[in-house]
This record gives sequence, C-alpha cells and structure tokens, in this order.
Amino acid sequence: MNNEFKINNMNMLFRLVLIITSCVQISAAQELLVEAESFDQPGGWVVDPQFVEQMGSPYLMAHGMGEPVANAVTSVEFPKKGEYHVWVRTMNWAPGDWEAPGRFGLTINGHAFENELGKRSGWGWEYVGSINLDTKTAKLELIDFTGFNGRCDAVYFSSKKISPPSSPKNLAEWRAKIAQEPNKPAKSEDYDLVVTGGGIAGCAAAIAAAEQGMKVALIHDRPVLGGNASSEIRVHTLGIYGHFERILKKLDTEHYPNGSADAKIDQKKRDDNVKSYKNIHLYLNWRAYDAVTEEETIKYVDARQTKTGERKRFSAPYFVDSTGDGWIGYWAGAEFSYGRESVDKYGEDWEEWGELWSPEEADNAVMGSSVLWGSKETEQEQQFPEVPWAMTVAKKYQEINGEWQWEFSRNDLNQIDDAEEIRDHMLMAIYGSFANAKKDPKNANRKLEWVSYLVGKRESRRLVGDHIFTFNDAKAGTKFPDAVVEETREVDVHYQTVLENEKNPDFISEALFFKTPKYYIPYRSLYSKNITNLFMAGRNFSTSHVGLGGPRVMRTTGQMGAAVGLAASLCKKYDVNPRDVYVGYLNEYLKLIEDQKYLKIPASKQ
Amino acid sequence: MKLIAVIFFFAVHMSWSQFDRVNSFSNNKWAGGQQLEKPQFFILPWQPGTQLVEKETNLSIKVDSLGLKPVKALQDSSGTIIIYVSDISTPVCADGDCRLMDIRFYWTLLGGYAGFDSYQQSPLTKHDHDEFVYADYLKLHQLLLDDNSILKRRKVDELVKKPQVSENENVDAVAGATIKEVKESVVSGALYSCYTAWHIVHGVVKNQIRELTVKGLSEDQLVSMLSVDNPDYQIFVLKRFSKAQYEKNYKQIAAIFKDGIPLVRSYIVKNVPSSFWENETLQTPFWNCFSDLDINSRSLLLEKIAMAPLTIIYELSKNLGVMTKNQLKQYLNHLSNTKGIDKVLIESLKSFADDPNETYNYLVDNFLEDYVE
Repeated sequence: MNNEFKINNMNMLFRLVLIITSCVQISAAQELLVEAESFDQPGGWVVDPQFVEQMGSPYLMAHGMGEPVANAVTSVEFPKKGEYHVWVRTMNWAPGDWEAPGRFGLTINGHAFENELGKRSGWGWEYVGSINLDTKTAKLELIDFTGFNGRCDAVYFSSKKISPPSSPKNLAEWRAKIAQEPNKPAKSEDYDLVVTGGGIAGCAAAIAAAEQGMKVALIHDRPVLGGNASSEIRVHTLGIYGHFERILKKLDTEHYPNGSADAKIDQKKRDDNVKSYKNIHLYLNWRAYDAVTEEETIKYVDARQTKTGERKRFSAPYFVDSTGDGWIGYWAGAEFSYGRESVDKYGEDWEEWGELWSPEEADNAVMGSSVLWGSKETEQEQQFPEVPWAMTVAKKYQEINGEWQWEFSRNDLNQIDDAEEIRDHMLMAIYGSFANAKKDPKNANRKLEWVSYLVGKRESRRLVGDHIFTFNDAKAGTKFPDAVVEETREVDVHYQTVLENEKNPDFISEALFFKTPKYYIPYRSLYSKNITNLFMAGRNFSTSHVGLGGPRVMRTTGQMGAAVGLAASLCKKYDVNPRDVYVGYLNEYLKLIEDQKYLKIPASKQ
Repeated sequence: MKLIAVIFFFAVHMSWSQFDRVNSFSNNKWAGGQQLEKPQFFILPWQPGTQLVEKETNLSIKVDSLGLKPVKALQDSSGTIIIYVSDISTPVCADGDCRLMDIRFYWTLLGGYAGFDSYQQSPLTKHDHDEFVYADYLKLHQLLLDDNSILKRRKVDELVKKPQVSENENVDAVAGATIKEVKESVVSGALYSCYTAWHIVHGVVKNQIRELTVKGLSEDQLVSMLSVDNPDYQIFVLKRFSKAQYEKNYKQIAAIFKDGIPLVRSYIVKNVPSSFWENETLQTPFWNCFSDLDINSRSLLLEKIAMAPLTIIYELSKNLGVMTKNQLKQYLNHLSNTKGIDKVLIESLKSFADDPNETYNYLVDNFLEDYVE
C-alpha cells in the first residue's frame, strides 16, 4: 500500500509539475531552477533517468569507477543580477561513518564554493553558498572529486535564503506550485501502434508490426536499444527463437560471457536493424511518464525527453507495454501482480526446494537485479582507492569480475520503487569486492574496466492477462491452441544465498533448475485482462512468479514481442481489440505467424 | 587403450574380491555393527558417549559394476533412528584409469547429506594417485553439502572440456562461469571422485530415506527432530505441526527463530498460527530478538507490527538504527496510525533525527515534520 501511494504521488507529481526546460524562471522573485540533466555539456557525467518515478527527475551522475570524471558545464540566464543563494539537489548514496563516496563541487563563473556536495542522506537540497552575480549570464560547472557516483539532480538559485523542501510530500507541493507546465504536452503524434520499452521484446514488437505495414512509435529511455541485452547492461540472450528466428536474429546476442564488451558488436547490429525500418519512429532517450485511459482503453502515452525535458503525447489505437516494469499497464490501471504467490495458489510446488521455490504463504520476494562489471589486466601497476563506504556490503568478499550470480533482492526492497538503492547496493558490492581483490599482489596490474550503472532486472510487475502462465503450464508442456511462444529452457528460479547462511554475501544468488519438456506460452498471456487495447511483452507478461523462471530470458521475451506485433496488425486490419484476435481471428493469426518466417520474394525477382 | 585399462581394472577387482576386504573397511569408530564416534565430517550434533547400532533396511545403493551396497539405519539405545549410513566402494574412472573409492556416507533422517568417513587403510586419492590431504577431504565435504551443486546438472564429460555453445543453451550461465564454478567446488585433481561421490549422496537414495522416515514418523520423533539444529528438520517439523503443537512448543520455536538460518526464521514468522500475534506472551520472544535478526526476517516480523502491544512499539524505538530505510518507514507509518504516542517516544525520535551518525535520520525528521510538528 505504501509503495502504491508513493507511486501515485510521484505520478501525480509528473502530471502536475516537473521542470521541463533547462531553466525555469520561477516567479517574480529572483529564483532559478536548473535541471542538471539539461547541462549543455555533461562532460564525463552520465544522465541517469532510471529512478524518475521515485525521486522525481533524471539526474547527472559521475560514474567514473574511481577516477573523477570531466566537468559538466552549462550556461544559464538569470532574471536579474545580484546576490543569490545556491542549493543543489543531491544525495549521499552510501551514507555512514566515512567520507561520502560521491563528493563534488560547483563553480559559478569560475568561483569555487567551499562546501563539498553530495553528503546528505536521502535526496534533498544541500546549501552550496551565496554569490553576487554582476552579469545575467553565468557559467555553471559540476566538478567531480571522487569518480564514485556523485549525483546532482538540480541547482536552485534564490535571492532569499530559504531552502526548498526535502520531504517528498512537501517537495511535490513545492514543485506543483512553481511549475508553469500545462498537463497536456504541447506536441501530439498519431501512430498505429505505440511500443514503450526498447528491450528485445519491444524491438521485436516494433519490427513485426512495421513489417505488416503499421506506423509504429518505439519509445525507449536509453540512447541504445536492447535493454538488458544492450551494451549498457550486457546480459547475453538465452532461449530459442521459436517462430521468429528471422526477426530475433536481428536483435539477439552471441553467447559471450555476461558483461562482455562484445555486447557492443551486437548493439550496432540491433540499432542498425531497427533503424532500417522506415515506419518505426524511434524515440531514443524518451521516457514515458503516463498512460491516459478512458473506459479501460488507453488513449495516449505521454513521454519526456530525458535531457531536454521536451514532452510529447503519443496517440494510437493499440499499445505495447514492454517496459519490463509494466509501467504503461500500471498507469492505465491494468491488473498486475508482484512477488511470490503462495504454493497453493497455482499448485507450483517443488518439494525438493520447498520454500525457496514457492512459499506456503505469499510474500514480496522476487528474483533480484544484476549489475554486471569487469576488470582487465594491464601492463602497469594500477591503483584503486580505499572504499570504506563499500565494506559494510562487500565485507571480505574478493572478486575481479561479475557474472549473473551478482544479483540482489531483499524482501523490504521493491525492484521498482527501490531500484536506486538496489543499484547502489550493487555498486558498493562491486567496488568493495574489487578493492579487496586489489590487495592481492597478483592483481596489482588489474584495472576496473567497466561497471554498469543500469539495473538489470529479472522480475518486477507482471501484468495480468486472460491467461496466467504458470510453472504447471511449463511442466505439462501444455499445447495451447493459441501457443505463439515456445521454449525449451529449464525453469530456473533464483534466490539469495544469504537466506541459507547469514555469512554469505547478500549480493550473490543461486539458481534452481527444473527440467521441463518443451513448453508454450499462449497469446492470451500477452494482452491485458482489463485494459482493452494493451499488449504486453517481456518480463511483465502475464505469469506467476515461478512461471516467469523459464521464459524471462530475452529470446523468449523477443518471441512475445514479435507475436504481439503481428497480433496488433490484425487488430488494425479488422479494427478489433487484442482479445478479439484470439476469439475471432486465431487461425489467421497463426497463419500470419507461419507466413512471416520467411520474407516473400519480391515480385520483380519471381 | 581405455578398453585395456578397464579390463585390467576389472581383473584387479575380481582378484580383490577373492579376498575378504573387511580389514580395509575396519575403523575403530565403528565396529561390530556399532558407530562409536562422531564421523570425521558430520553436520549433526553428536553427544560424547553416543553409541549407535546398525539396523538393516530394505534400501540399497547401486554401484557401478559392484552391485548393491546396503543402506543401514543407525539407532540409539532407545531404538530411535538417528541417521542412515552406507559403506560405499565404487570404481572411479578417468581417461581409462580406474581406481576404487572407499568411503562411508551418512544421511540425515530426511535423506540430506550428513557427513562421511574415509578409511584409514584406503584413503581417497586423486587422479595422479596422490592421497587426499585434510583440506581435500574438507573440500569434498563442502561440495557434498551443496545439494544444488553445478555437478547436479552436468554430465561429467561436460565438466572436463569447455562446454559447447548452442542455441539451446539451457543455463543462465556461460562457459567461463561454469568452468570457474566447477574449479572452485571440486577437489583439484579429483573431479571424477567428487562427481561420483556427489551423485551417490544426492541420488535416488535421498528420497528413499525421506520416505522411510515419513512412513514411520511418530509425534515424539517429530518433537525430537525439532530440537536438532538442522534447518531441514526444523522446516519439516514446522510444516507438520498443528496449532496446538505450535503453542505447546513456542519457547523452542522462538529459540529457533532467534538462532536459526534466515530461511527458517522467515518460515516461522510467516506460518506461526495467528494466535501468536494475538497473545503478548507468545509474540514477545520474537520481538525481543529483533535487533539480532537478518534483514528479511526483520521485515517479515514488522509486517505483524499492527498486532504488537504498545510496549513492543516503544521498545522498537530503541532499535531504529538497525532498521533499513523501508523498515523505518514502515515503523513510522505505524506510528502515524497509532494514537496516544507519549512524549518520551517523541523525544526519542527527535534525538534519532538529530543524530548525524544515523543514516536515515532524515526520515524521522520528515515524519516529525509531517505528523507531529
């Protein structure tokens, strides 16, 4: 309940406020709010839009893996010359009895302030100091001191020394008061299909629909496509191709180790392939923030450019939720589930593993998120700083690379609402474990090469469809009449090893594998039960917790995407809703799936 | 070449079997059908002076080319079965080089791995015929303790060469990770021995022993199993306890909650009858160990906070520092719905909010700002 309340609040915050331009003159008073993600030159700082729904905005982060990153620079126009008090909205992401890891500074027109920033617990405002501006234009610079993930959401100037509020409740009200933004985005665009989330499932949905002649919008909040398979997260794709080998080969990865830089090669392939479709309108770096529904039908999805704050409204008769977290369904009021069902709910018992597999009583436990990372040998000795702030998590664990077992979940942490804390916990685990490994002389020349700052999630919200896919469907290999996705991969469910022994690191997981026959996912698990025009593809499809264990991997979710893309084309053809395809056009749908396996030879070449 | 080696092995084995091998199997820990000492590697408690007597069962383990090895029960002087045991002699072959592995395995009443003994006259050896040293035996013990070892899902041939990459790759792992995991878990130079041992211990006999126990289970045995410090036993018993048995054994259950592994604690807090949370006496022992619990168990306990008496709520205010962010939010959320919070508690919250060393002091500060001030 508490989490839902929080999300509703944040959603309202989005609808009502949010600062969308790089500089907003707030009132007649001399005040100015500068969104950090809108800085003209971010330097080495990265834009992190992952936690907008929780903390209110994309932010800049100094992800230097221990080496300070280049300054972020912007110039701003002040309403008047004169004296201003300055605050930054920031957070110490590893608070404790040590120096904050992500300290940074701010300069204005070259003037450095004495106060180091990034030191307060929880997101809020830190006072920087005051400055007398004798010009209306000023140059701001964020200076990273540590390379360890300092973060800046916004810089606020005011002629009065009154800090903006920090409590989420009061901050929302404050932002609502100062926002000059109307509810409706100024720009609207119409499509046949709007796909939100450019992971493998979303890309496959967009391609399949585009190949059937639909005009598709693909909205994705990152600069590159692929989600967990992208070069930013680097999980390799698993599973079989099913009926969609031709499409999925445009998107999947080689079987390199998770975290491998080879992901960059597949990244180029994927981006090039999706961009080759003229009728896929690709919105990279756009993050959806609302889905407006009338009579259980989505009318449009609103999205915002993660850097500039520009907004757009995307209208369509059909929508695909491939956000992974089920955001479109959530905003639209779709039924969803989260956590582990009780063992009796669907009869998903596996006696050998008992509570670890499926609990007697339902709970909030889910499979965790991974943050992948790696290091490399170099010719010279490499230093790595002491990281005392990481040791409460890493303890004495030593490692030089991270694989899929680097995974974190805890029952007090929601994989959506607490994703930032989960990511930060993993960063502490990584930096601490690497620092421990560096104490071994054999690692003297080893250098941290790459650490993702994106949370690679396995499980979050699962939207409810007409059929909920379960472990029993997999075990029985049920051949549904509307089977459109197929898989041979074992059902594997993860748990944290700390549950079995408190001495284990809490960021390492174990997998339980159940060998099944070939199994099938019905089309009815790929559209919402109560939102009439919503498809879902990806880990947020209609499944139980254990049911997700097998088909959560990315070739399988890609099959889901391709399947809904084709279904959407039939919806358009007959002007019907997703459910009607199952009820009235199933044979045509299955034939369409069969026919798309091979591209037709153009008439000119026949 | 391999064929010759195998033939040679069986020739040797045939000649061995001409002799009575009892001598090589003897050990002063067990003689004449009695277990007199704690096994060398053992996970269950063993009281000094314990003497267990072997009893035949109808269970046996099929060993490659050497037939069936009986599984025996070991019972105490009262006739209660404590563990199961089998003396195993099995060929282990690698690259055509075959040797016998002699080892005495022990299982719990639920078929879980309990431990092993090696034979003084027939120590385990590695591929290069070096004898196991203590660290090797310990590593084998650790491997056998892992009932979800990577050895479970792989054929032994797959473990000695780089796994083939295929489109039908069935594990959420990669070649490199697999090789690393195998290397870390098996005794160096003794992969085949480890593999063979693991699959005997965790083979079909596991379920057979469990079924045997379930079949002959009495209430007394159920209660006595609860007193054994073993997570499998604890959950097995708690799953079978009635409401009355939960209440009758609440002190024992609270003690397990305090000292058990997180998985067992979670089970307890989620599954004790609702009467526990309606009764101050029954629930207080659980809250008393709040600060010593793992985070997951603490979270589950906090889900019962609405039913906790005010004394517990006040007591918890002394433990705000051990709470995670969301646990603290949950506690404060409960406070915001609680009437009659006294000034002492408010002062305690203020002092927490003002403490710069408290990571989540700002949450309490926000709470005071929103609900109190």
